[in-house]
Amino acid sequence: MDALDLSLLPQEIVVANERFPAELAACSDLDALNRLKGVYTGREGSFAVKLMEKLKSAPKERKRDLGAAINSLKSTWEEALKAKQVDLEGMKKSLEAAKNLWDTTLPPPVPPMGALHPLDRLMARLVEVFRPLGYHVEEGPEVETEEHNFDGLNIPEDHSARGTADTFYLAAHPQLLLRTHTSPVQVRVLKRLATELEKRNGIRFLAPGRVYRKDEIDPTHSPMFHQVEGMLVGKGIGMHHLKGTLAYAMKALFGEGADVRFRPSYFPFVEPGSEMDVRCPLCGGAGCRVCKGSGWVEILGAGLIHPNVLRFAGIDPDIWSGFAFGMGVERTAMMVSQTPDLRLFFENDQRFLKLMGGLD
Amino acid sequence: MLISLKALQLELPAVAKPALKDLCEIIASLGFPVDGVEQGLEGPVLDVDITANRGDVMSHRGLARDLAAKLGQDLSPVELDPLEEGEALVSVRLEADACSLYATAVLALGAVQSTPPEVRAFLTSLGSSPKDLAAVDASNELLHRYGQPTHAFDADKLQGGIVVRWAKVGEKVVTLDGVERELGGTDLVIADDSGAIALAGLMGGESTKVTADTRRVLLESAWFEPRVVRAMARRHGLHTDASHRFGRGADPGMARIARDLLAARLKRWAWASVEGAWTEGSGPIPRAAISLTKELLQRVAGEPLPLDDAAVKLRNLGCGVEENQVSLRAVPPTWRHDLAIPEDLAEEVLRLRGYDLIPSSLPPMKSDPEPLSSAYRQRLSLSRRLAALGFHQTVTLGFISPEADARFATTPPEGRTIGNPLGYEYSVLRSSLLPSLVHAAESNLRQGAREVRLFEIAPTFHATPDGPEERSTLGIVWAGETGGQDPLTPQGPAHPAALQGVLAALGSSDAQCEVRSLEGGILVAELCIGSIPAEAERVIPTFQGFSRFPAAERDLSLVVPLDLPFRRLAEAIQRALMGTPLQSLTCVDIYRGKGLPEGRQAWLLRLTFQGDRTFTGVEVDGWVGSALEAARSLKAELRG
Repeated sequence: MDALDLSLLPQEIVVANERFPAELAACSDLDALNRLKGVYTGREGSFAVKLMEKLKSAPKERKRDLGAAINSLKSTWEEALKAKQVDLEGMKKSLEAAKNLWDTTLPPPVPPMGALHPLDRLMARLVEVFRPLGYHVEEGPEVETEEHNFDGLNIPEDHSARGTADTFYLAAHPQLLLRTHTSPVQVRVLKRLATELEKRNGIRFLAPGRVYRKDEIDPTHSPMFHQVEGMLVGKGIGMHHLKGTLAYAMKALFGEGADVRFRPSYFPFVEPGSEMDVRCPLCGGAGCRVCKGSGWVEILGAGLIHPNVLRFAGIDPDIWSGFAFGMGVERTAMMVSQTPDLRLFFENDQRFLKLMGGLD
Repeated sequence: MLISLKALQLELPAVAKPALKDLCEIIASLGFPVDGVEQGLEGPVLDVDITANRGDVMSHRGLARDLAAKLGQDLSPVELDPLEEGEALVSVRLEADACSLYATAVLALGAVQSTPPEVRAFLTSLGSSPKDLAAVDASNELLHRYGQPTHAFDADKLQGGIVVRWAKVGEKVVTLDGVERELGGTDLVIADDSGAIALAGLMGGESTKVTADTRRVLLESAWFEPRVVRAMARRHGLHTDASHRFGRGADPGMARIARDLLAARLKRWAWASVEGAWTEGSGPIPRAAISLTKELLQRVAGEPLPLDDAAVKLRNLGCGVEENQVSLRAVPPTWRHDLAIPEDLAEEVLRLRGYDLIPSSLPPMKSDPEPLSSAYRQRLSLSRRLAALGFHQTVTLGFISPEADARFATTPPEGRTIGNPLGYEYSVLRSSLLPSLVHAAESNLRQGAREVRLFEIAPTFHATPDGPEERSTLGIVWAGETGGQDPLTPQGPAHPAALQGVLAALGSSDAQCEVRSLEGGILVAELCIGSIPAEAERVIPTFQGFSRFPAAERDLSLVVPLDLPFRRLAEAIQRALMGTPLQSLTCVDIYRGKGLPEGRQAWLLRLTFQGDRTFTGVEVDGWVGSALEAARSLKAELRG
């Protein structure tokens, strides 16, 4: 380039050469570059062709200098054009590559996720809690007889629970009802195993299930709800065994710090009877809305099996004894989760189910 | 039951000592949780929850008695001025054995009467408004203080003598609430010559009621059979303070005392003078003694407890107790109808000691353990698989409306209807889970859900002559638009075939029969859990060999009639290739667009051959040729 003497060249070429860097920079793709190539170095009508024509017609003594100047100019253009072509081709390649590249920050397709119902999860969890203690699951029908639902549980014949204001009876079968608790499973199992108790050294089981009572639907009542019943029959079983078992279960359910207390209570099918409170899981005992300021929440009813219940099933209460407990699943679920309204568990709004459920 | 702290202190001064919160804890530890404390005119009023077996605690005196036993303190003496009993002024006949004790008195009232302010305040704090009739207010006060319901008749309105008897069928009485009640043979009534004048243990009658003009009263303080009172209260829907107490068992020992207390109040509040007092009957048979062995007490308590200490506790509760080295015998007091068996006594001992002192230990693992039943495990595993496949488990009520039931039921609702339903819409035990699931899906869609995937596992009910049979059932509903939530998954309505695939994944053998497509693009399926193969009892199934030789895969593009079901074609090809190592035959693409003859579609079939060696191209071509021949027999042609 040093050798280039612009004074030798026509004015048109000088102007074009001054414009060249800007025009080259303006080429944003290969098509534009090819067009520019045509204008400067193309085979027809380009500046290079014009210069060659100029060289042909130049006086002999100037041909050498002019020729050198023209070659220098042409190669300057060609080199710059080639370099630009490499650039543009590189750019095109990386654009193609970018097109095939997946943006990993985009939301990925997530396989559809369902959920188990929170009540079923809690019941399954309770079964899990009691498995290490040797409890298995016993189940019974939802349509029951008065014998299993009431008679076998030492519930007096005139007890108000037997009335049509509390219990659903079948129209075509007045002796059949929708079980009002899971306790009839006790009666069924005890009757079935009465003669085998000695051979199998007693029995222990859980009975989770749906039960029905004639309650209007409101934030704390439902005509259908769930209970988990537990029962153990053995020899020499006392209140200390009930306490030990439930204290373990509550620790397994609520964590090492779970604190429980037992109060006397009354259920016709146990004697002594008891209710168990857990230290309010929400406030830790300081007192809050959930525990109504007492620091304790009632969680289940329990007691030693009433001798009449064993007798009804054909089991000698002088030899065998045991305990039973029953937990309201909704009540516990509401307390643990602080769900404000029982009806949410039966509305089956997918938003609720997604938030409150899980896969196991 | 409401308890005024001030009135409780009158019965047991020792309750003033502990802080209110601690007192509530002590009451709860006796088995009567305190549901709340309100500030009344005269100080705190406690809402105490009394268990159904303890009628004797349904008064201030009753609760104080339990607390006195617990705290080892003495009750205040009852200020009693016993009436001298004499000849009956009015004949009283107890004709029904449901009333075995009837203490009464006749008093003439003075010209003025007033209820003392402290009694007015006491009644008001318990939510009971004073009537400013001495006989009524005094009776009310005694009920809350001592638990014995009493009643005052206007003696001048009585016609002839009093009879306690069973009502005659069709007999009527207008009770104090102004309601005319028709009676039956199991209603116990107080009657005079005019007929029934009160429902025994429930409520007095209009015709003999005490008013401001009443000059003479006849008092009633009786004992009625609890079972009879409970039945009457239920039958008439008339649950009163009196029926709650008689119904749980009143204290026959209180009958005369309450009459005397009532008379004493009338003397003070209404310048009354006693004309005569007498009692009919001797009350119920006293309760038998109960014996409790040391051994039983130890078993229940979980540790050896000294019998003499147990005896002290039972005596504190009012029992007459004799003890020796191995057992004790306790005669329950007249107010404790709930004590009947040795375990009851053991409970009393533990209750007074405090349940928190009972030791805690796990029972020995003696009984034979059992595995979880396969039915239980199957339901659990089905639920978990469905949840993993994107479905949400629901819980819906077991009873539905007859219309909802009819939508999917295959049998009429007879035999599975509820005689006393909550309402018409909850009157049929469902024979299908689908009405409830479809309802839940529709309501989710209305709430703006794009896609709804729900399932429920619950029993369905099927009528038999012996009552409804319960079948464990799985219901699934899929509705709305699926996909469209990320750049790679296209959006579209849920396709019935996709639900078939879900059922197939659960192991259902005939998935295509079970999927139904309802209005609004709602897909449903329902299966009896018993029809789904259960998980193998064995942890791992029996080994089955599989070929390690390469599979030969051939695609066959066919033009087939639109009405040819794939299954027919597949069966024909499978028949034709019987004995060949055909591993699978499936359709991987369907084309129904342009360029096909009218009434035709194009299928791309994929045949896979695999066996115990590598096959030659000629062999495979031969099998594919046979397949094509079989297809041709069903008017399918190779696509050109």
